[in-house]
Amino acid sequence: MTTAIVVDHLNKTFPCCKALDDVSLSIDGGEMVALIGASGSGKSTLLRHLSGFIAADSGTVTVLGRQMQDKGRLAPNIRRLRAEIGFVFQQFNLVNRLSVMTNVLVGLLYRTSLVRSLLMRFSIHEKQQALEALAAVGIQQFAWQRAATLSGGQQQRAALARCIVQQARIVLADEPIASLDPESARNVMELLAQMNRERGCTVVVSLHQVEFAIKYCPRTIALHRGQVVYDGPSSALTPQLLGELYGSDVEELFDMLLDSPALKMPATAHSLQRVAV
Amino acid sequence: MTKPTIRDVPLAPPPGNLSTTLAWGVLFIVLAWSWKGADMRPLDLLKDSGNMGTFARDFFPPDFREWRIYLEEMIITVHIAVWGTALSIICAVPFGLMSAENLVPSWVYQPVRRMMDACRAINEMVFAMLFIVAVGLGPFAGVLALWIHTTGVLAKLFAEAVEAIDPRPVEGIRATGANALEEILYGVIPQVLPLWISYTLYRFESNVRSASVLGIVGAGGIGVILHEVIRGFEYAQTAAVLLIIIVSVTLIDLVSARIRQLVI
Ligand SMILES: Nc1ncnc2c1ncn2[C@@H]1O[C@H](COP(=O)(O)OP(=O)(O)OP(=O)(O)O)[C@@H](O)[C@H]1O
Ligand SMILES: [Mg+2]
Repeated sequence: MTTAIVVDHLNKTFPCCKALDDVSLSIDGGEMVALIGASGSGKSTLLRHLSGFIAADSGTVTVLGRQMQDKGRLAPNIRRLRAEIGFVFQQFNLVNRLSVMTNVLVGLLYRTSLVRSLLMRFSIHEKQQALEALAAVGIQQFAWQRAATLSGGQQQRAALARCIVQQARIVLADEPIASLDPESARNVMELLAQMNRERGCTVVVSLHQVEFAIKYCPRTIALHRGQVVYDGPSSALTPQLLGELYGSDVEELFDMLLDSPALKMPATAHSLQRVAV
Repeated sequence: MTKPTIRDVPLAPPPGNLSTTLAWGVLFIVLAWSWKGADMRPLDLLKDSGNMGTFARDFFPPDFREWRIYLEEMIITVHIAVWGTALSIICAVPFGLMSAENLVPSWVYQPVRRMMDACRAINEMVFAMLFIVAVGLGPFAGVLALWIHTTGVLAKLFAEAVEAIDPRPVEGIRATGANALEEILYGVIPQVLPLWISYTLYRFESNVRSASVLGIVGAGGIGVILHEVIRGFEYAQTAAVLLIIIVSVTLIDLVSARIRQLVI
């Protein structure tokens, strides 16, 4: 297995706080990794560094053997390098007034000639590709509707279809299910797992719910105040371990634990753990 | 320390503070200071009210004998507005994008904005007089005058719309490896298009009004006739010309307001 993502001593300080504190990690091609952590722990910041939306203060990000940023400088050809990285956002980030079809075709822009993309002309073949991607996520019937008319879950699936036509070899998803109902959330997680299994995409998905991390991702990386505090098998994530990792912040992570049947624990465990930490 | 009870809160707001009093004072001083310069003579209005009455009577009934010519010139006026607006859209799109601070660095938007300020600062009539020297009397000078002035106005309005967009869809496009132009075309333009169309129609209405007076300095259209009949003391004909302008401008305003409602 080749290495897909290497992060080497990445640091980023915002006016408020240190958002990334000497983060180093390595993810192999074909892995499906969950990124967990309390609100403000730096999950979004880390993902946005991976696709070069933000330049770090120091450190290196290498994706598929190409350096995205080094010592606070983005690669000069960063726009092209992003083409191999699909990005899925919590708020879907589709263009509301464009059709679902056009939103998906955007994933092809990096390979179409500039003239055709500026004329907004797409070939039959390209439209077929987009339609197949829409069928793969199960929303082909909405192809010519405006994106704004779709439900949240459908919009997120359209965003996944865009990653498919983009032929992204890596998919970064920043809380892709945080704004969705439980049914759509499962659906989107299934699709991400399917992209990982069938298309061999490397998937890094940030989540608020540990139960989903355990169910879908063999490996979990946990962040706390910008530091990697755990990197290992998701199956080892017991409430005890999380309590140790997050100390008094564990309260923020508690909703997800109580919701998770696998991790059901007596109500008193909460207070006990806080004493223990 | 006890919490103040409801009875401690007065039922009227606290009395106006010094700055409000000061603001009123400044307003009155400015008005008084401008009285002389503006040659304000309200009493003359009363004294000459008899003359005014006779003058007003001369306008009725309006003389529509030459209505074909008036209508023809009114249509030319609309043609001037159409082309003046069309040319300015073509320029306002790039200049508008180049004056939006969320798209370009400040060394681009600062000079472009100053240039647009200059286009806007000078009235269409002044541009028209200048262009008459360059291209001669007639509607073309009017088109050029509207073009420059409207480019300045629309570029500013377009840029304001761009600065108010939702950045998230644009980031979605950026994430696919698209270049900067594609980002604008697919992420920015769809978001601002309804507003841009609305602003453009509004400027078109306003350009029809402006074009109807451009003729006074010789830049073609109904203004030429208006100027002639007023100078010839032909008040009945003046009334007819004014009525035609009012009806046409109102019609265009109504239609364009309708279209604006549709796009928003
Ligand atoms: N552009 C920015 N400017 C200033 N501070 C920022 C910026 N982006 C993030 N931060 C700060 O960095 C810290 C990490 O934020 P980040 O968004 O990465 O957290 P997160 O783990 O994604 O949280 P959440 O679960 O709420 O999305 C936060 O304290 C946040 O306030
Ligand atoms: Mg986040």
